[in-house]
Amino acid sequence: MKFKTFFWFVAPSVFMMLLFIAAPLVSVFIQSFQVTQPVMQQIEVETCTPGFLTQTCTTEMKTVPTIDEETGKTITTTSWVGFQSYANVLQMDKVWEAISSGAVGDILQIDFWKALRFTLMFTLLTLPLVIGVGLMIALAVNNAAKAFKGPIIFVSLLPFIITPVIGSLSIYWLFVGDGILTATLERWTGQDIAMFAQAWTIELLMYFYRVWHVAPFAFVIFYAGLQTVNMDTLESAIIDGASRFERLRYVIVPHLMPLIIFIALIHLMDCYRTFEEIVGFRSQAHVISLQWLTYDFMVPDDAGNRAISRASASAMLTMIGIVVLLILPLRRTWRDHKGGAH
Amino acid sequence: MSKATAQPLSLKVASGAFLAFWCLLAAFPIVWIAVMSVKSPRDAFAASAWDVITGPATRAAGTGLSIIDIVLGLAFLFFAIRWAFTGLPKLVERFSPPGLIVVGWLVGAAVFGLAFVLVFFGILPPVFGVINSILGPIGEPIIGLTTEHYQAVWGENQFYRNFMNSMIVTAGVVLISLTVGTLAGYGLARSGSNLAFWLLILALVFRALPHSVLVAGYLPWFINSAEILRPIFGDLSPTLYGQPWAVIAVLVSINQPFTIWMLRSFFQNIPSELDEAARVDGCSHFQAFRRVIMPVMWPGVITTGLFSFLLGYNDFLVTSLLLDAQNQTMVPAIAGYFNRETTTTDQVEAVAAAVSITAPLFLLVMVFQRQIVSGLTAGAVKG
Amino acid sequence: MYLKKLALAGAVSLMGTSAFAACSYENTVPLKSLSAGFEAWKAVTDAMAECGNFKAELDQEFRTKQPAAFEANPSLYHIGGVSNGTVTPLLNAGTIRPLDDLVAKYGQNLSPNQLIKVDGKTMAIAMMVNTQHLMYREDIFNDLGLEVPTTWDEVFAAAETIKEAGVVDHAIGATMKSGWNLAQEFVNMYPAFGGAFFNADNSAAVNSEAGMKALETLAKTLPYADPEVLVSDSTYVQQQFQQGKIAMSNLWASRGAAMDDEAESTVVGKVKMAAAPLAMEGGAPATTLWWDGIVIASNITDEEADAAFRLAMEGLDEEMVKANNGAAIWLVKGYEPGPLAAGAIATATASPAAPPYPSTTQMGLMHTALGNELPAFLTGERDAAATLVAIEESYATAAKEAGVLK
Repeated sequence: MKFKTFFWFVAPSVFMMLLFIAAPLVSVFIQSFQVTQPVMQQIEVETCTPGFLTQTCTTEMKTVPTIDEETGKTITTTSWVGFQSYANVLQMDKVWEAISSGAVGDILQIDFWKALRFTLMFTLLTLPLVIGVGLMIALAVNNAAKAFKGPIIFVSLLPFIITPVIGSLSIYWLFVGDGILTATLERWTGQDIAMFAQAWTIELLMYFYRVWHVAPFAFVIFYAGLQTVNMDTLESAIIDGASRFERLRYVIVPHLMPLIIFIALIHLMDCYRTFEEIVGFRSQAHVISLQWLTYDFMVPDDAGNRAISRASASAMLTMIGIVVLLILPLRRTWRDHKGGAH
Repeated sequence: MSKATAQPLSLKVASGAFLAFWCLLAAFPIVWIAVMSVKSPRDAFAASAWDVITGPATRAAGTGLSIIDIVLGLAFLFFAIRWAFTGLPKLVERFSPPGLIVVGWLVGAAVFGLAFVLVFFGILPPVFGVINSILGPIGEPIIGLTTEHYQAVWGENQFYRNFMNSMIVTAGVVLISLTVGTLAGYGLARSGSNLAFWLLILALVFRALPHSVLVAGYLPWFINSAEILRPIFGDLSPTLYGQPWAVIAVLVSINQPFTIWMLRSFFQNIPSELDEAARVDGCSHFQAFRRVIMPVMWPGVITTGLFSFLLGYNDFLVTSLLLDAQNQTMVPAIAGYFNRETTTTDQVEAVAAAVSITAPLFLLVMVFQRQIVSGLTAGAVKG
Repeated sequence: MYLKKLALAGAVSLMGTSAFAACSYENTVPLKSLSAGFEAWKAVTDAMAECGNFKAELDQEFRTKQPAAFEANPSLYHIGGVSNGTVTPLLNAGTIRPLDDLVAKYGQNLSPNQLIKVDGKTMAIAMMVNTQHLMYREDIFNDLGLEVPTTWDEVFAAAETIKEAGVVDHAIGATMKSGWNLAQEFVNMYPAFGGAFFNADNSAAVNSEAGMKALETLAKTLPYADPEVLVSDSTYVQQQFQQGKIAMSNLWASRGAAMDDEAESTVVGKVKMAAAPLAMEGGAPATTLWWDGIVIASNITDEEADAAFRLAMEGLDEEMVKANNGAAIWLVKGYEPGPLAAGAIATATASPAAPPYPSTTQMGLMHTALGNELPAFLTGERDAAATLVAIEESYATAAKEAGVLK
């Protein structure tokens, strides 16, 4: 295909991605090295606020931004600060301190490292589970009687299609306080159980939710893959006396390998920027994720402050992490590209 | 049955049991919120599961189902669902114009959904009411059930407006995503250049970006766009904030990486001899694409379209920040029930709204289930 | 029955079309407002909508949108709903206008108490106050022969008795969801122990004796509260009250009405209100006073501002308050404080009175730092002293980035 033709085919898509993804990305990259501050001034202000029936007035020194008389906008200064924002997010001095004093666990009190620990564990622990559960469902459905297949596929897809905000809430309600599942567990074990009182139970629920939500996606793709398994190869494997497990191990899994890598790729990306679970399960007190950290820097507080620079730095660090994670599975795509393209 | 698929009984039982367990796990939370949505607030958040199911407070308030209602209702439900899997496909195939089977399905699904809602919620209750009053004691309600939250959500709170907005945004996202993505996917599949490869990798990195970063970046630009664009477009320059089409553009862009990856691998599995033959006959690449590729690409496009649909329909972060109240879609509208000042009634209404927005997804999957599997089988995920 | 409902719906829609029925004039200037979405705002914006040509946006993201939307030129909204927390960014950026001339023109019914004055200029009109105060189960307190506690020490003593009696799941309900809610608990407690948040140079001053005492008090609630207290926000505590699972709580006044809601509550008439407990003898109640009210954008024409203010006054009139008396502790004329308002009024009129929430740029940063660092203390990962140090460090980083600290 000539370059010009290729260009016109991909132009609309590339244009949209450049405008809405690359441009913000570049600005995030630049902002991570900058700090923009309003010029502050100290003024004495008298503020009167209502009590019940009468007002209370207080006079105090307030630090407020300066406003340009002509344009009516806040005067701001922007300065390059190098890696200062990254240092603020990473807090390496505290990390070294913790290592040198032998209390390595203290590193996990720093927000970024705490988030990184959870995000990585979350990503890497759910990955095999999603693939395993997905594959098991796919094999079982493939085994099921024809009449049942349709309804089973339908039910299996439900956790995947349901709106994530609602899915996580529905599970949260089952367990929070005396939610009916917690109450049932309490009756069985005779103990008072509080699922949201400590970190590990919340984490467990979050793993469960993610696997519940994504395994159907893995399932439907594996199931599609199973429809194209070469029957001749399977038959000859049987003639060779291969056991059921050996057939799975040496015929079916290799056939599904590209799909497994595809799922792994998608899953790594989606998990690494996990966010809904933190909000849905309200786990901020115990576990946070990298995207949640970025989001937390970004949302303004009541007084309108946002930590844009640290948000940008933490976003860039998240990006670097994902690129590192993706390198392995992508090496294969590069080989395919070189080998199989036209 | 061939030898390859013959199985010992133990394996069959084990795999059946596993499936049953999985189905229970998959459906339970969703069924449960559906149960909660038809109870009074006191029952919905009761500690005992039995109270949530039977709803004593709801029944005390005078609304409920008798045994007759339950038996007849379940029977109707069973046949309706069965017909959706058997009768509906045949009907659609018979009446849809050739080549437009997708449209036929969409219309069929919408009509079916509407008819179902009408019969189930409009016609059956009064009929059952009459039957119950004739039968006397057996007709007494045994399970508390109320539709007041649904009435509040769709009536008072005008949820249908959010529904319309959701439909506009989702339809826009699916159409534009597919148009733009199909072209790009085809181009990428047929080009062996390194540029194509790096574009794909770049798209992948884009896909990995945390969305909150992007979205928060849009907000000031969207709000001030009228001022920023004034030098170029004059007084016609629009305020992008609150515009559904601006949100569509954002969602399409965010979804592009996934779309072009899916479609590229799908097109790679269409033998390139097909369009090369057409090119030998004197077609340009675009003509070859339109005449040869388009007729065979539907399975892959439908599957990819479904994923776009899910993204547009389920999105929360983008729509909640960039749309105003008049154009708000359903998901942020539901989240609005959970703000800092809220009541238990609000929460049960939110649950009812949540169940309502799940219903179209149900229909969609019911209808397109075969297409998803066949589309994926046809190769949209091979590499 | 269905027919009846249908007829009723028809009647309602008829009333909708014959608009302006409840409004004294017809509004001809198209106006928009952006505010939070709770009950009182629904009441006020509904009353404003009766005059026509008005679109209200009740949005839980208003905090994020408001500063930017008011800074646009022309402003995307004419009327803003703010509280003493969220008015700060608008004041700082100068995107809301002084209202004195408009008050002179249309504000005959306003009481002086409602005018929020900054440097002598009226910048906002308050419509309601809100505060956290003690709500308790009168029946339980009577059964166990307990007095209504007035200090936190008495709260814990009462909680001990209730816990031993085992009449409820948890003696105390606490709005300690990590983040904003938890930080707010500290903001209630710390000044009540005589602490100041900042030094003169804007650096943090929470690492003090008062800080230690405030943390101690927060920690003391834990044994009496739900173990899942770090996920419980006001709605959750309200539900626990309604389901009879807790005996008392320092909860928002705006939640009071829910206790007597027949449809939701199992404890109708049993929950009574009292002033927020003191942290120490002779101190102020350990809580903060909040107000909610309206502001008018600067980046709109004077005609629009005129129409917007007139419309807002129509929304804040006696008629609206009479129809929604229970929805808030109104400051508007015509409000009749019921028994549910007793706690809020006792808190606001205590001597010394509870302070208003100290809304400044620094306080916003401090609130975030508190919300992020306090959970580690309550989960036991960090001791009190280390937590106070961590709060100061976290604040310093943010304050330097925001430019309030050199």
